[in-house]
Amino acid sequence: MATGLAEILDSFVKSHSDRQLLALPLAILAVSLAILLVSFVSSGSPVKLGMDFQGGTQISLETTDSPAVLEKMYSSYPLTDVRQTGSRVIMQFGIMDDEQQHQLEKDVASHKYSNLQIQQVGPIYGKTLQLQALQALCISFIGMAIVVFLLFRTFIPSFAVILSAFSDIMIAAAFMRVAGIELSLGTLAALLMLIGYSVDSDILLTNRVIKRRGTVEEKVSKAMHTGITMTTTTLAALVSMYVVSTFSYLVIPSFTQITLLSQISIVLIAGLFADMMNTWLLNTGILRWYAMKPEFRGRYNR
Amino acid sequence: MSDKKSLLKNPRVIIFIVLLLGSIVAIHPGYTPGNGTTSHLNFGLDLEGGSWLQIKLEGALAQVDVDSGKLVSGIVEPIIGAPIEITKNNLDVGGSAEKSVTFTTSATVSASQLEYLGTVSVDKLSGSTTQVTISDISKESLVQAYLSKALDAEVVLVPMSNQDGTVYEIRTAVTEQQLESLLEKVGGSIHKDEDGTSTYKEGVSTDTRDLTKEILSDKLNSLGIKDIPVRTVGDEYILIDFAGIDLATAKEIAEKPGKFEIRIQTTGNETEHVLYGDSIVSVGVPSFHDEQWHTPFTLDDDGARTLQKVALDTGAIDNPDAHYLKMYLDGVEIYGAPLSSSAAEKLRDGPIYSWEASTGTDEAAKTEATALQVHLRAGALPVNVKLVGSGHVDAGLGSQFKTAALIIGLISLLGVAAVVYFNYRRPEILIPMVGTSASEVIMILGVAALIGWQLDLASIAGVIASIGTGIDHLVIITDEVLAEGKLPSTRVFKSRITKAFTIILGAASTNIIALSPLVVMGFGTLKGFAITTIIGVLIGVIIARPVYGIVIKELLHVDENGTASITE
Repeated sequence: MATGLAEILDSFVKSHSDRQLLALPLAILAVSLAILLVSFVSSGSPVKLGMDFQGGTQISLETTDSPAVLEKMYSSYPLTDVRQTGSRVIMQFGIMDDEQQHQLEKDVASHKYSNLQIQQVGPIYGKTLQLQALQALCISFIGMAIVVFLLFRTFIPSFAVILSAFSDIMIAAAFMRVAGIELSLGTLAALLMLIGYSVDSDILLTNRVIKRRGTVEEKVSKAMHTGITMTTTTLAALVSMYVVSTFSYLVIPSFTQITLLSQISIVLIAGLFADMMNTWLLNTGILRWYAMKPEFRGRYNR
Repeated sequence: MSDKKSLLKNPRVIIFIVLLLGSIVAIHPGYTPGNGTTSHLNFGLDLEGGSWLQIKLEGALAQVDVDSGKLVSGIVEPIIGAPIEITKNNLDVGGSAEKSVTFTTSATVSASQLEYLGTVSVDKLSGSTTQVTISDISKESLVQAYLSKALDAEVVLVPMSNQDGTVYEIRTAVTEQQLESLLEKVGGSIHKDEDGTSTYKEGVSTDTRDLTKEILSDKLNSLGIKDIPVRTVGDEYILIDFAGIDLATAKEIAEKPGKFEIRIQTTGNETEHVLYGDSIVSVGVPSFHDEQWHTPFTLDDDGARTLQKVALDTGAIDNPDAHYLKMYLDGVEIYGAPLSSSAAEKLRDGPIYSWEASTGTDEAAKTEATALQVHLRAGALPVNVKLVGSGHVDAGLGSQFKTAALIIGLISLLGVAAVVYFNYRRPEILIPMVGTSASEVIMILGVAALIGWQLDLASIAGVIASIGTGIDHLVIITDEVLAEGKLPSTRVFKSRITKAFTIILGAASTNIIALSPLVVMGFGTLKGFAITTIIGVLIGVIIARPVYGIVIKELLHVDENGTASITE
């Protein structure tokens, strides 16, 4: 199947000019940036911040009570959301003071629910994490960019790799915004992972094109076959992780969604799809134009 | 057959096999009927069940610029309510000479008002002038005393070998603005470094953090129920894990280091103070004797004498039942009982140092005795703490997560295998590839078992992520080696492997660099994810992937000679 995909993509790349190749990824990048900007202007944050970054309490438990019953039962607390998946209910509470928090925990403990899970984050810690998250993303991206420059030591090819990694992150973040996935510690990890992950195929492509003999067209086409195989195998691992962590309760009702794994995998999946496009259209387009520049006189195309 | 033998002689292959076997020994998988599967792997609370608390240590560190004269005026004038004139001041003089400051004022001054600053002597000079000398002081001790009083918190000097000047540790939450305005009142300011950055820093010193950790650890583990690990995260946070305890109980255990007090009932519901927790010298382990649970504790001399005096004064000795001894923690009554008749008799003659608090006969009494043991210790923490996060996963859910994680791992590997097979349709590629990937996972787990790393859900995600990158790199090697669809000569093969590794090393270094901020920064759960992924990448690049290159060459070579047909 990957071979089929690689062939379609290969003939698409061969039959279109560099400019045409760039059009789609740049348009999608522009749309993504617009989404993030609008979100930033309207809500003060480009992505929706989850409990980890805002503070609050999440309680997940197994119960036969309906969400409506629970809503009534816990109405004296700042309950913001009740969701049901299988035989489990997840309740989301806003920020409480220590005393109310403790009361709620006692309340919950007195019901002796089975398979109980509680997570609580204080607003102060959430604020600290927001700052750290931003720092981590910047440091990680800059670190990646430095490694890429050290690897290729030429400006345009390195820039193409970094631009395509940047676009991967922005598209994945915009996807999170549109799909309503909150930024949690899990999704932050996924975005950081994506920075490292997404450059794999770009490095492969650039390395093959500027450090090997052969025609540019042939080198791109070979790199593409390897690259698509790589990305599809990774996607296979991630899709498995997503399906099992998200939908296993449909098969075994007592199973709970493992939110952390589900979120990490869906963001990585979105990012890798973006990466396929960015590597084989955006990066390839820039690199092909660069390698075919007349002043190199066929240095990269022989 | 000779090919297979040469494979086993290759040092890389030998190292790989030794490490793989070593990992299996380290993981030590086993199965005992009844207990199910066992291993040496440590699982995090989210897989094992339990509660965790994250605590922030509130405090600030700063250096201070202040003029000693202004400092003295700034401190003293508001207290005595009149201006002062400093007549002698050698605080800024270096050396170890006796430091003191002398001033005159028109107001009347009593020594006790200023005693917290140092040794005070007050002399009436003439009708309206009083001369005051404060000795045994230094500029630092004045700043310390001033801030401590203004903020009602302990302020200590931190020895910092790598910095000039004195660093003050303020053991309560104070913002930079608050501190600045306090210092302004005495004509001082927060010291700025040469490049203009403020020396104010939120948090406490490493020593204070460690001391807090020790006290907490001591207090929690004196319970003896279970080992409660107390870990530090950065300089500001402490993480406490309570295996198998619900969150409400965990908080009750941890959150109340508070103030312990014993009071005695006087008339009706009225009570009178007897002593505070600092009079308690030691606390023993609860024991069952005379049909009752008891928690033993020892009082110091002052405490024992005070208790005797109060018991005599209130009449508790003659009528113990009307004069209960009550114990309070942060103002809440936690225990109350009358003096036993034997104790009452003894108190007539002298103080009693060793006491026992009895709680009753049943299981609940045992629990109460245990809780009392902790409360009596009441080890007050050196800094203010604030709960900033907590969580709970019950044991059933934890084991469910563990099962799910195992299923996810296996299905991911199967999914990857299926895609690889679709792409190459050759078992002699599929088997080494999946085998390499699986052995990388075993080695990651082996390292985890060896260093006692706690595997939590995030770490499992890291393991799966490294299956993903691992396979990517194996695909690069395979495609590079089989560039023309068949195996090249040994010389060409070597150069191709080198080329493949240039790409792989580049990719691996970006992976490691991208995740390293998570290792360094204080994100609790994500540290596990980043560390397992990085370990996975390193094991893959250094140990497993080179061996894959060697193995695939041999296997394809045999295949080529044997069947001489390559399906492409």
